[in-house]
Amino acid sequence: MIRTGPVIIGFMMFALVGFCWCGPALAAADVTAPKPSVEKVVWTAPDQEAAKKRAAQVVPFVEAVMDECRLCRQQRLRDMGLNVKDQTESYYLLNSPIIRKTEDHYGPVRFMHAKHAGVTKDCALCHHYRPVDDTAMETTRCSACHQKPFQKDHPERLGLKAAYHQQCMGCHKEMNNGPIDCAGCHRKNVPDHKDKINLAANPEPSQVTSECLRCHKPAGEDMLKSAHWLWKGPSPYTLKHRKEVELGKATIATNNF
Amino acid sequence: MGLNRRDFFKYVTVAGAAVAGSGQSAQAWQSRAPSDPVGSLVDLTRCIGCRKCEEACNRVNDLPAPDQSFEDYTVLNRKRRPDERAYTVINRYTSGMIDERDQLVPTFVKLQCMHCQDPACVSACIAAALTKKENGTVHYDVTKCIGCRYCMVACPFEIPAYEYHNPITPKVMKCTFCYERVQSQNKLPGCAEICPVEAITFGRRSDLLKVAHDRIKSNPGRYVDHVYGEREVGGTSWMYLSAVPFEKLGFNTLPEQPIPRLSETIQHSLFSYMWSPIVLFGMIGGVMWASKDKSDRVENGKKGGAS
Repeated sequence: MIRTGPVIIGFMMFALVGFCWCGPALAAADVTAPKPSVEKVVWTAPDQEAAKKRAAQVVPFVEAVMDECRLCRQQRLRDMGLNVKDQTESYYLLNSPIIRKTEDHYGPVRFMHAKHAGVTKDCALCHHYRPVDDTAMETTRCSACHQKPFQKDHPERLGLKAAYHQQCMGCHKEMNNGPIDCAGCHRKNVPDHKDKINLAANPEPSQVTSECLRCHKPAGEDMLKSAHWLWKGPSPYTLKHRKEVELGKATIATNNF
Repeated sequence: MGLNRRDFFKYVTVAGAAVAGSGQSAQAWQSRAPSDPVGSLVDLTRCIGCRKCEEACNRVNDLPAPDQSFEDYTVLNRKRRPDERAYTVINRYTSGMIDERDQLVPTFVKLQCMHCQDPACVSACIAAALTKKENGTVHYDVTKCIGCRYCMVACPFEIPAYEYHNPITPKVMKCTFCYERVQSQNKLPGCAEICPVEAITFGRRSDLLKVAHDRIKSNPGRYVDHVYGEREVGGTSWMYLSAVPFEKLGFNTLPEQPIPRLSETIQHSLFSYMWSPIVLFGMIGGVMWASKDKSDRVENGKKGGAS
């Protein structure tokens, strides 16, 4: 029994990490440990609140943009003396209500504007057009032009969600740098497991595992293919297991069902 | 006096001429396609194969949970078809081209009902369970369906699936184009709404065709010069743009004629004025009359000898 504790926790971690790898800390904390104070250690960046406020704004829609090629635009920005040093905000939270209206699968992307600007050194890479309105700022937000998708009057204007994804993923692919998978940028909204778990007060370790496997069946199947399970050789460097020839969860663990 | 050989050929010739004549004189086939339907344009160069459309489709249509999670991309290792548990599926094709990361460049192909302008399934349906709605949707009404599955045979895209596992209340299952969502709730189809890269553009079919041709024109290196679904089987509401020739992506090469055009022309000319049953039964009657006469003669001749 004493030995199974860590094994169970290890397996649970493995199962959950395998599944909710975008939020392992949250999920694992909910299920396994007796709630180590998650709320207390949360650190928020000083500009987080401001970024949240900015993210909640919907700016007026830009109907028309100036038609110029990328080179012309780059040159014009250079002529105007605008460059990376002129940016006002270094950090954005991409959490627009325009997208939130239909989506709630992933957490917002935390976009390091300053870092991207510094790396690319080219404002026109993302700020590819300017509004025709002369009074408007030279570089506007993505959400000024890209709002609702499939607008009849602007058939080729991408919606905000697609504009973000195409711009970010396209550039990451092109530069061969930066994530192009979902969890590389988003934290998945892992549902609260408190209501989902159905366990008695003092469950047996095997009950806990079977409860996890009730929903996360593939995680268990994956486990059966892993070295954890299949390892059969000696383990000369593991304390207390030096003399044992057979290891691996399949052979010695208590709840290896 | 029975039907002799000469007379028989005479009648057959007359009947044949009647068939040929009526074929020409029958009313020309009329398309019943709605004039301004909605549609979707799938840009395969944009699709990233995330399977979110499959997930959204499953959710908005209350379909049963899949065997493998929607985040399990190993399902892309085999070719799938839409079935009774999934109205839409994504398949992955590779042409052998390699990108900067030394990875095979994939092309993901979304499959679902194409919502033809002149659907063969609607034409084949004998119970009017399948109808072409004014907004372009090919709509299925389970209360009228008798389960003959002619639609499954008729569909040139092999889309309708059947709930064979459900012996009491089986349904034909196919993409609904989210008819309720689009018509009554003023929402987008589930897949078009969730697509993170707008690989699916939803809108009026006429606008989409314009968009499609504009995209090809402004970026001719990116696309093959073909909008799949613009003309195939008389046009479909779902249309595709691709960088790879469509025949390499599992798309059937189909005629530009609507499928029901041929079948309905044959059907309607065969049964116009009930001439074909009349001729058929007339001929059968004639043959019976002739052969009865003959057998009588045979029987008379062999009387007493045979049995």
